[in-house]
Amino acid sequence: MTSLGAADLVPVIPELFLATAGMALLMLGVFRGDGSTRFVSTLSVLSLAIAFLLLGLLPEGRTEAFAGMFVTDAFAVFVKSLVLLGSALTIVMSSAYIRSERMERFEFPVLVLFATLGMMMMVSANDLMSLYLGLELQSLALYVLAAFKRESTRATEAGLKYFVLGALSSGMLLYGCSLIYGFAGTTSFPLIAGLFAGGVEVSIGLIVGIVFLTAGLAFKVSAVPFHMWTPDVYEGAPTAVTAFFAVAPKIAALGLFVRAMIAPFGELADEWRQIIVLLSVASIALGAVAAIGQSNIKRLMAYSSIGHVGYALIGLAAGTQQGVRGVLIYLAIYLAMNVGAFAVILSMRVKNGMVERIEDLGGLAQSRPMMAAAMAIFMFSLAGIPPLAGFFAKFYVLAAAIDAGLYALAVIGVIGSVVGAYYYLRIIKIMYIDPQAEPLEKPMHRELGVVLTVSALFTLLFFAYPAPLLAGAEAAAASLLSP
Amino acid sequence: MYQLIVFLPLAAAILAGLFGRRIGDRGAQIVTCGAVGVAALLSWVALYRVGFQGQVAVVPLFTWIDSGEFEVMWQLRIDQLTAVMLVVVNTVSALVHIYSVGYMSHDTSIPRFMAYLSLFTFAMLMLVTADNFVQMYFGWEGVGLASYLLIGFWYKRPSANAAAIKAFVVNRVGDFGFALGIMAIFLVYGSVDFQTVFNATPQMAGQTFTFLSWEVDIVTTITLLLFIGACGKSAQLGLHTWLPDAMEGPTPVSALIHAATMVTAGVFMVARCSPMFEYAPFTLAVVAAVGASTAFFAATIGLVQNDIKRVIAYSTCSQLGYMFFAAGVSAYPIAIFHLFTHAFFKALLFLGAGSVIHAVGGEQDMRKMGGLWPHIKVTAVLMWIGSLALAGVPFFAGYYSKDAVLEAAFAAGSGVGDYAFVLGLGAALLTAFYSWRLLFMTFNGTPRADHHVMEHVHESPQVMLIPLYMLAAGAVFAGIAFVGPMVGENWSDFWGQSILIREDLHKAMAEAHHVPLWVKLAPVVAGILGILLAWQMYIRRPDLPGALARMHDGLYKFLLNKWYFDELYDYVLVRPAMWIGRLFWKGGDQKIIDGFGPDGISAGVIGLARRAVRLQTGYLYHYAFAMLIGIFVLVTLYFYTMGH
Amino acid sequence: MILQALAFYLFAGITVASAFMVIAARNPVHSVLFLILAFFNSAGLFVLQGAEFLAMILIIVYVGAVAVLFLFVVMMLDINFTELREGFLQYMPVGALIGIILLIELALVLIGWQLSPEALAQGQAPPPEGMTNTHALGGVLYTRYIYLFQGAGLVLLVAMIGAIVLTLRAREGVRRQSAAAQFARRREDAVAIKKVEPRQGV
Repeated sequence: MTSLGAADLVPVIPELFLATAGMALLMLGVFRGDGSTRFVSTLSVLSLAIAFLLLGLLPEGRTEAFAGMFVTDAFAVFVKSLVLLGSALTIVMSSAYIRSERMERFEFPVLVLFATLGMMMMVSANDLMSLYLGLELQSLALYVLAAFKRESTRATEAGLKYFVLGALSSGMLLYGCSLIYGFAGTTSFPLIAGLFAGGVEVSIGLIVGIVFLTAGLAFKVSAVPFHMWTPDVYEGAPTAVTAFFAVAPKIAALGLFVRAMIAPFGELADEWRQIIVLLSVASIALGAVAAIGQSNIKRLMAYSSIGHVGYALIGLAAGTQQGVRGVLIYLAIYLAMNVGAFAVILSMRVKNGMVERIEDLGGLAQSRPMMAAAMAIFMFSLAGIPPLAGFFAKFYVLAAAIDAGLYALAVIGVIGSVVGAYYYLRIIKIMYIDPQAEPLEKPMHRELGVVLTVSALFTLLFFAYPAPLLAGAEAAAASLLSP
Repeated sequence: MYQLIVFLPLAAAILAGLFGRRIGDRGAQIVTCGAVGVAALLSWVALYRVGFQGQVAVVPLFTWIDSGEFEVMWQLRIDQLTAVMLVVVNTVSALVHIYSVGYMSHDTSIPRFMAYLSLFTFAMLMLVTADNFVQMYFGWEGVGLASYLLIGFWYKRPSANAAAIKAFVVNRVGDFGFALGIMAIFLVYGSVDFQTVFNATPQMAGQTFTFLSWEVDIVTTITLLLFIGACGKSAQLGLHTWLPDAMEGPTPVSALIHAATMVTAGVFMVARCSPMFEYAPFTLAVVAAVGASTAFFAATIGLVQNDIKRVIAYSTCSQLGYMFFAAGVSAYPIAIFHLFTHAFFKALLFLGAGSVIHAVGGEQDMRKMGGLWPHIKVTAVLMWIGSLALAGVPFFAGYYSKDAVLEAAFAAGSGVGDYAFVLGLGAALLTAFYSWRLLFMTFNGTPRADHHVMEHVHESPQVMLIPLYMLAAGAVFAGIAFVGPMVGENWSDFWGQSILIREDLHKAMAEAHHVPLWVKLAPVVAGILGILLAWQMYIRRPDLPGALARMHDGLYKFLLNKWYFDELYDYVLVRPAMWIGRLFWKGGDQKIIDGFGPDGISAGVIGLARRAVRLQTGYLYHYAFAMLIGIFVLVTLYFYTMGH
Repeated sequence: MILQALAFYLFAGITVASAFMVIAARNPVHSVLFLILAFFNSAGLFVLQGAEFLAMILIIVYVGAVAVLFLFVVMMLDINFTELREGFLQYMPVGALIGIILLIELALVLIGWQLSPEALAQGQAPPPEGMTNTHALGGVLYTRYIYLFQGAGLVLLVAMIGAIVLTLRAREGVRRQSAAAQFARRREDAVAIKKVEPRQGV
């Protein structure tokens, strides 16, 4: 029986702060009513920023807390920084949207805050139990957010679908966990890893457990064939929520996925690699093909995110330090591209409200040249055209795959990106060549404009100074693979 | 300070380019002129510090690419060679900027023009301050891009567009060689950093590698590839065709391209890579031969051109030839010295020509000028100064440098050196002739323009003349002031480590001062002879040129059509390429590849997409079922592979 | 020993059978009742293993609260379950095939089950001597597992927020009790004392 010391609290200071801030803001909201939403939103962004700073102040190196349930290392810090950035940007971008869509309630930022907390717990999970708990905290908040606009049938439907399928996936995940526990006799990642380092023979049961665990995690990152919820939820949920879904939870879940595969089961990479390869290939293929037929831009972004998850999984399939580095770089660049694209989608407003058909972007180049140019940058980048950031994202994972000898996977990745380029380019064609649709409302909200500009510049100029991101990702990957 | 020199023009370009509408025409002019002007002043400080105090510096900015063994830094290398180039680039560029304020005053998109000019300057600065080949290539391509934008500045003229594309495409040929050279360097040396590569070169000398069963010398191959790149940018024989056409751009652009940026890049690169070229004697011979041939060849064409700017353009081409054969006989300091003086008088000539064109309302054909002397005396005097310098008349800047070039060629004592000396001497005579032909046709004789134009002939405004005065001062004094330190007996004190000459093998630099007297006098005599000839033909007997042209009709046509280079390329390269292209396009691509490839595949993909979309039914239990099937497949897959 | 084994198989058998009936029963109310039966038998299994606290909690929380809530919900909602089951037959063959193969595979897993001694060593956590179940759980819940405990608390908090966000509507025309207003009431606001003279009438 271990006792709880103050030292245990140091690594969790950012989470502790965020939890306290979430509860305090909840109380503030309850007492001041829905009129205080903007205030609560601002404070939420501030809390996320402070948590970000606290993250930076953590002592370097790997520290465990709470009897090894929780771990902080460079990997966790890297992914958490991205998550916090994604969440903060989402709140910033959504403030105008939730006002105009009559869903301005103070619970919105508070739920985002709790979801973020769950994500951070996921990323730092060092035990199957803390993994599950973080996952549930995040998911529960997301289910609610998906249905947040409760008078809209589509949003409610999205929330319900997400919830039911999420519960199913949690069941799979728990089943996998119990199989693993049954074999290993422990839920702690380092202890499981120690077992294999000791050269214990691997039983089928454990592998099946890993398969179920993978299935549960694949649902969270929406990898094929556990992706079915994604298009419906992306389309049905309010756009601001979709923007959130597309960024922070994806990043956190991928971070968790990488840790849950590498930290306890790193020795078994040869066993689980084929599962990841299969998920990756299927995701790339479906992401590339199914997006072509879409007319709703949110749905298109859903398929796009499925495809991108497939690419990120290539890095995990490699299972090497280079591969993990590739995944992390991918996540960072993915964050910038998606935030930017959703900033554009969030400003697709005409006189009678929001629009979300792709055709509504028609002739954008004439009416809003700067916005169209930014969107074009994001689309080119998502398609992976050099020298934009998206190219480098793909480049690093594909290079890792080739180094790990996964040639077929790399070839499929390249083919997938060629097919996928079709629908990204189609958006550009619609913006630049097609006749003018009903012009979008001016002016764009200032927060959206700022987010758009910054992410466009990042995407455009990444190639000029990629060194800090590469170094950060390298250190993070090293901390995971050789702690 | 060095960062300022390089990045001020970039900042100005961004400001003027992106916010041109916000800050207005005047704002854009002030920003760009100010930025480049400050950079020019700082460049002189840099020249003083580096050239005369020997404070060589390397300024690291940050890591650019770090991929495996391939590491590239953004880093400014400020040595003597760079300092001289900084002065040339920034000074001329600043004056051209100021001149443009007047010259382009009636244009509708001034901010765009000023932004392009500054961008051009920045790219050239990146090139000359590069500390590795990749960074140099960045500047190299940046210069190419900016020149495309500027030559095609009047994008509504089809001829301007064609010229811009031609410049870009011809340059690409050279760039390709350069890129191959860089790749070969990385392959062989495992680094693209100048210092590393140069230090390793002595060990590489003489080693060979096998290419298609040929044994090829490594250093020779690399330097030849680099030289192809230099040929493209510096418009040497074969890749020169873009240069005259580039006159479609506004005149300040021509001045910038011809005097300060772009064309000097090739010469600079050869000088920068002197530690490599020195170990490749064959390449040096090629450089000298190509340079000498270009010098003579371009001068012959210059004889018969009627467009005032084209005459000067061919003279640039010819002068670049001088620089190259100086480099080819290992007299790099002399090559750079000629580059330095040439920048002043060539910019002066171009801007002066611009002033003339401005005066006669945009007319460029000399046959429609004449008798302008009484109306634009200042411009005429300035053009005279420029031409005197160009012809190498004593005590003007060109005299010192051109003499030095020819002396070095003679002193080299090799076959190529002699070849270069003879052709160079011939070119000197021709240069003087066509320069005075230009002057006489423009300013003297009876006016051939209609009276309408003549009535409006006027001197240019002060904002255009002041840069001309300054350039004229340069054209007069740049030679006498810098001949001592740069190419005098103690040239190596000035250049330090930036240039390497293997003096045991290549004596041209050392011997250049000890040539027979007749060699020293020959260029001057040739120049004066040329002037007198021009006077004879265009002032005393204006009927002579026509008669001569009729008598030697074939030769005249041959020269007028620029040795039929464009026609040759058209016949040998362009048409077959078009033919092959059409064959592949219609037959190969549309029928075979498209049919079975993209069109077929895209039809297939769209079919697939429809089916994939249909999977998404919207029913919850379908989705759940899909997940179960997924997990079933994964588990079964595992059992299946276990069995094997 | 034999008695224990018999009891185990009895409880386990009934649990599995009633779990099957939960999904097989036609009447949803019966399903819930079978669920309750399954809970009871699971509790019995817990008791067999000496985990009395868990057994009692299972009965109190799951049977007493959750299942009864289920029952109410099922009875209140008028859902036509036969309609929902339409099309069931259509997927039956594929579903059955997949289910059976998956079952076989999982059976293979169980047959091939072997616990390595190293793993066993890691898992052993016998309850300390002389301590009740409740005591032992309490001992680790707030120390070793405080992180999970607090995390679970947050999950519940979010669930609560979610329930309120999604369902709470401020309805018009509903009178609410306001304790503060009631307390703040003074006699003067509520009662007016009128002196009524005798025989005068009001």
